[in-house]
Formats: sequence, C-alpha cells, structure tokens
Amino acid sequence: MAKVLEVNHLVATFAIAKKEYQVLRDLSFYVDRGETLCIVGESGCGKSVTTLAVMDLLPNNGRIVSGSIKLNDTELVGMGKKERAGYRGSHMGMVFQEPMTALNPLLTIGHQLTESIILHRKVNKKEAYDIAIEYMKKVGMSNPEERMKQYPFQLSGGLRQRVLIAMVVSVNPELLIADEPTTALDVTIQKQVLQIIHKLKKEMDAGVLFITHDLGVVAEIADRVIVLYSGKKVEEGRVTDIFDHPRHPYTIGLLNAVPNVDLDTFEIKPIPGTFPSLTDDIKGCRFNPRCVFATERCRNEVPGETIVGDGHVAACFKVEEEENERNK
Amino acid sequence: MNGTSEKKVILQLRKLKKNFPIKRGVLLKALNDVSFSIYEGEKFGVVGESGCGKSTLGRVILQLYKQTSGSCVYYGKSFEDINPAYVKKEIAKLPEYQKKAGEFYNESVKIDLKISELESQKASFDADGNSKDAKKQDKISKKIDLLSYQSKELKKNASRQLREGSRTVGSLILCKNIKEIQVLFEQAYAHTTKVHNLLEEMKKVDANYQKSIVESGASKNETSRKKSVALKAKLTLLEENAAKNREKARELHTQAFRYRNIDILPITELTNQQEYRDKLDNNYESGINLSKLTNREMRPIRKEMQMIFQDPAASLDPRQSIGSAIEEVFKINSEYSREVRREKTMELLEKVGLKREYYYSFPHVLSGGQKQRVGIARAIALNTNFVVLDEAVSALDVSVQAQVLQLLQDLSDEYHLTYFFITHDLGVVKHFCDRILVMYLGNTCELGNSKDLFSTPLHPYTKSLLASVPRPTVHRDREMDEILQGEVPSATNPPKGCPFHTRCSSCMDVCRSVRPTYTEALPNHFVACHLFSNQEEKQS
Repeated sequence: MAKVLEVNHLVATFAIAKKEYQVLRDLSFYVDRGETLCIVGESGCGKSVTTLAVMDLLPNNGRIVSGSIKLNDTELVGMGKKERAGYRGSHMGMVFQEPMTALNPLLTIGHQLTESIILHRKVNKKEAYDIAIEYMKKVGMSNPEERMKQYPFQLSGGLRQRVLIAMVVSVNPELLIADEPTTALDVTIQKQVLQIIHKLKKEMDAGVLFITHDLGVVAEIADRVIVLYSGKKVEEGRVTDIFDHPRHPYTIGLLNAVPNVDLDTFEIKPIPGTFPSLTDDIKGCRFNPRCVFATERCRNEVPGETIVGDGHVAACFKVEEEENERNK
Repeated sequence: MNGTSEKKVILQLRKLKKNFPIKRGVLLKALNDVSFSIYEGEKFGVVGESGCGKSTLGRVILQLYKQTSGSCVYYGKSFEDINPAYVKKEIAKLPEYQKKAGEFYNESVKIDLKISELESQKASFDADGNSKDAKKQDKISKKIDLLSYQSKELKKNASRQLREGSRTVGSLILCKNIKEIQVLFEQAYAHTTKVHNLLEEMKKVDANYQKSIVESGASKNETSRKKSVALKAKLTLLEENAAKNREKARELHTQAFRYRNIDILPITELTNQQEYRDKLDNNYESGINLSKLTNREMRPIRKEMQMIFQDPAASLDPRQSIGSAIEEVFKINSEYSREVRREKTMELLEKVGLKREYYYSFPHVLSGGQKQRVGIARAIALNTNFVVLDEAVSALDVSVQAQVLQLLQDLSDEYHLTYFFITHDLGVVKHFCDRILVMYLGNTCELGNSKDLFSTPLHPYTKSLLASVPRPTVHRDREMDEILQGEVPSATNPPKGCPFHTRCSSCMDVCRSVRPTYTEALPNHFVACHLFSNQEEKQS
C-alpha cells in the first residue's frame, strides 16, 4: 500500500522563556492509504503538536528542528510558506476538537462550506453548492438545504462536528487529520460521528490520522496505533497487537487504568506519579520515574526501538531483554 | 446488595421538578418528577447525555437552584439540630389546608352536578334531529368539556392541599380533630425548640470546658480545676434537661398519632380508602425539607453537603495560594487559631495525596489531577457527609483519573461519605458506584444496582447507551448498525408521552401519548417504560 504520510525522525521544540524544550523527540511514523492511524497518549504528550507540525500550524514559539514530513513523497519540511499553504486544506484537511470554535458564528453553514470548495476545487458558486449538499448528505445530515441557511449556534454539537467533517472531506484530501473530534460529544453522538469517519475513509480511500486520549475510541476506529509518551513513541503496532499483547509498561498501565464496561470486576489500578512537564529534565527513558520496572539502565540511557512482531515496535529496555531471552 | 432497604436514607427526593424560564411562556423543563432516595454511605451514580438534567439535579439537591416543586428531604441532621422555622408555619396552616381542600372538593362536586345536568339536557336534544338542536348540542358539549376540566383542576388542588398538609402530620390531616392535633404538634415543636437551644448552649459550654481542661492540665491551678468541674456539672445538667424535653416532644407526637384513622372527615371521595391514607402517611417528613429552609438555617447543612466541580482550574483562584484556598474553609466555618488551621490544612493536603509544600504554591504549578485533589480537600475539610461530584474526573487523563477515583474511594471508606456522582462515562460509574440512575431529558429512566443495571438493562435507552460506549477491547465485528440514531430533543418542547419515544427502537402506540410510570420491575430495579408496566399488568 502506498504511504500517504511519512514522518521521519521529527524533532520539534517550543521556546519557553528563551530556552528551547523538545516536544517531539525523534518521532517516526507513516499513514497508509485507506488506513486509520491513531495516536494515543495523555494530555501534554505531543499528540496535537504532531498534527500541528504536519499541518504547519505550530505556534510562533514552536519550530521543527530536524526530520522530514512527506506527503505522497513530497517533502514538506523546508518548503516555502506559500507553497505549503497550498497543501493545507486541499491535500490534507483537519477536524478540530471543539466544533463551535472552528466555525465562524457570524456566517451561515452554507457560506462556510462552499467557501472552501470554491477555493480548493476551483468551481463556481452553483457547483460548489451542489457539492456541499452532496457531502452534507454523506455525513448524515437531514434536510441539508435547510441546514445550509442556518448559523452554527442553531446546530447541536454533533451536527456541527458533521459540518466540519463535510467541509474537510468535500475537498477530497489525501489525508484527513482528526484531533479529538469526538471528545466534546456524548457517547451516542460520538458513535455516529465515528461511523461517519469510518465510512468516508473507505469511500475516499484517504489516510486518516486520528488523535485521541480515549482508548475505547481507539479500539473502535483504529487500524494501527501509536502510543506517545512525553513526545516519544513508546509503542507502535496494529490495533490487535496493542490491545491484546501490549508490551510497553506504559501501554499496559494505560489499558489497566480504563474502567471497562464489559468487565464485572475491575480494580482501579492507576499509574503512579504524574505526567512529566515539558520543561522537566528526565535522564534516560522519559517514563522511568513512573515505571515499576525501572532499572539503573533506564535512568541513564534512552531505550531504542525493539521489534517484537510484524509492525509491532516498543521502546523499552525490559521488552528488549525479554526479546533477547526469547531469541536465544 | 439486598440490604439496601435496611440502610439509612440520607436524602429523599419526591416528585422534584425544576423549570427554567427562558422567555415569556417558554419553560425549559430541566427536571420532571424525579423521585428516589439515597442511602447513607453509598456511591450513587447519575448518567445521561448532556442536557439530561444531571447537573441540574445535583445543584437542586444542594439548593444552589431553587426547585419549582416537589421536595428534597435531608435526614443527615435532625430537627433538633436546625430547628427550622417552616415547621411552625406549616403546623399553623394545618386547619387551613384541610378547609381549603374541602372547599375545593365541594366546588368540584357542584360542578360535577352541573355537568350531569347538562348531560341530561344534551340527551334530551338528541331525540330530535334538526340542525338547530345539533348546534345547541355542540355548545353544551363544549361547556361540558370546560366544566369537567375545571372540576378536574379543583380536585387536583384539593389533593394538593392535603398533600402539603400531610408532609407535617401524615394522614392526620384528614382527622376531624385537626385543631387538637395542631395544638399537640405545636407543643411538641416548642419542646424541640427548647432542645435546640439547649444543644446550642451545650456547644458553648463544652468549648469552655475543653479549654478549662487544657488550662488546668497545664497550670495545675486549683481554681481552674474547680472551674472545669463546675462546667462539667453544668453540661450534664443541660444534657438532662434536653433529654427531658426530647422525651416530652416524643410523647406529644405519639399522643397526636393516636388520632390516626379515627374520625376521618369525608373531604374527598378518596379519604375512606386505606390506600390513600397510607399514601399520605408516606408523605410524612421526619427529615428536613431543604427547599423550605431559610438561608440562615441552610448554612449549617451546607457544611455537610459539598460539591466538587468538573474543571478544577476554574474552581481555584489563580492568585490565591493552595494553602489559603483550603484554609479559607476553616476561617469561615470554625474558630481554630491560625496555627491549628495551618496544621489542619497541611494534614488535609497529605490526606489527598499532595505534598505539604504545596501549601505555599499557586494553582498554576499543579497538574489537572493535583488541582482536583485540592478541590477534594476543600470539600472534605469540614464534617462532610454528602458530596456532589459533578463530572469530577471527566477532564482528567485516564491514568490520573484512576488515581483520583482511588482517592475518592479511600476517603469514602474512611469518612463514610455519601457520593452523588454525576458523569457521562459509563465505565467509571459501573466500577465506582453502588447504584446508578439513568436520566433522559429531565426524566428518570432506570435506577438499579450497578451490577443489575449493566447485566440486565431494562430501559431501551439504557441498552442503547451501553451499546454506544466505546470499549477498550478490540472486537473486529464492528456492529455499526445497532447505534442510537438522532439527537436529544429540546427540553423546552419535550415529546409527548414517553420522552424517549422519538429515538426508541421498540416504540409502541402508548409511548406516543402516555407517560410511563416509574415502577419496580425487578427487586430494587426501577424503570419508567411501557414495556415493563404492561408486563406487570398482565401478570397481576
């Protein structure tokens, strides 16, 4: 399968009080055509920064230090500002968490929908209107003609999120980035929206980069999963690998912390300690202060990636040792 | 979990209603006849989609919103502790309630007579078949409609009056000797007031006594020792006095209740039925009706009923240090010296798993989970026994969420706290709460033990809610079909009949017109759905 997005050894920093701190530490991943890649992690782990780096929307104090981002084999890092802007929206679209802040409250839904279609698909107003209606239907909106005349405040959260999805996919992007698109929604509506994203992905044959902190959502929608901790990829694999055979202590801890509705007994097993701040200087593995298996080596060296299966990678010394044992 | 019925009720809600006026003539019905009880020491969970009224419910219980109608009775404190003024007023109003109920009913009876008169008139027109008569007939039937509506309203008013009265005296409101009963209750109230005053005095004397003990221990002074002995004697005297008054109040109450079922007035046609009388007896409130308290009377109860909010950052002042934010609670509500306050605050910080050093730091230093811990520390600082947690762990990451849940669990075990846990996360309620209430559009759908509710959900809404929860296990056969379609209707114009019928997969004709009643379909498992009320009828 063709890779839509390929990110290699990406390092991004934020400048805080004239000092630069790494937010993304040597991050590499790819998204295939027609697949959904989920990035999971706690708040502050760099999930959103990853999407912003891909979209070239990093805040003023953030910059990409090294590494490459390729969209369909075109290198995006180092590209001119104007050329880069041409990729945003037309080749890759983004759905944000809070649909109300992503829509302009003063313009009608129709205006906002057709605007991007006219801009990116180079069609006239009439054609854009028809395309907009078609996509409104695709995202499951009832009487779209009526909705086109309405303002964002007249729609509920679920409908607003559908409008945003319609807006993004109506341009036929190769990559759809969704940054916690269902976090602000109720479970019943969340399921509807997830279903729409899943359906559209199949139809468009695009890649989806899905950001979430909810492991339940991951299990629902992902094909492959990346677990991020403090800017570093700690585990990567197919969704079945991650959920059925998690290897990294952090992934295991995360899975144990989620109260599962299906289980009759559940013991609350939190991961001790707190998530490190961006400015914390931690030697060795970033997870070592919270890890129960941490050894002297973990406190001094940064673990490399250990291949534990087909496309299943974990960055942990404990996993490395276990693999060495097994291969002997 | 069969023992729930034997547990002590701490809070009882009856037909609680809350409407928010939006504009003239438009009401947002946030809560609709919510009735249930919460037992002491249990973790009571409320789930539902946004806009189902779960937060409103939490706030109405704490009297942060005034309820529109219904009652919210608190059993954590007794009448002696608070001595609320409303009881006296209610006792004074008793004969009035009875009289008014009678008047309303008599009037409705008169109207009923008129209706039957008109009906016979209408029948007489029936015999002839010309158009003039048909018109007249039409007129009469319209009149009958109007009158029957009026009589129905009057009857409702009558029973409302009786219900109000029964809150203070139970079915005694129907007795002929209401005046005597009133006198007995008034006397009992006077004794309770005395007990209340004595208790207040005892508190003061006790404080002095404690002080004198410390003093005499330190100085070994003869006079201070004598003083403490004298105070001790006074304390026992007061206690005896209080006990005497308490006994008298109890005697008067039993005396009053001897009138039960004797000399019942035929106020309405229902009064002769034992069932109705039992219902009125059930209305008798032995706890404190929070909605009728004045703000001053509410204050001591507020100490016991606390709230923890969703966004911990928003509930802390960014310019106030953590220490002073918690200490404020003691400053306002207690008379500890500054040193004691500080020590208590530090202890609290440790109790909720924070370092003592945080006493001096400001909220921005803390992470989300730590801020929530500060919120918890503030809520349990006083002798709290009831805490409303409004989405308290929803804004936290999973690993931290589990930590906070653990803390809440430990605290409830240690202090025997009762939680009212509001959330939209079904996974959390299932494993954290003992009983769960499912709400939809201001209505209660289902209430049951968390195990029963998840293993045998009865209401179709509960079922679909469970189906749409994202599960952290990979099941490759993504059953995408059985999800709930549509959105929650507007609460300003809720659907007629069952509020859920617009989205329900097993919707029947009755659902569109009749609101289902809230029944106990399985032991300790309540549901408001026609699917189950029908079954019961068939069985019986």
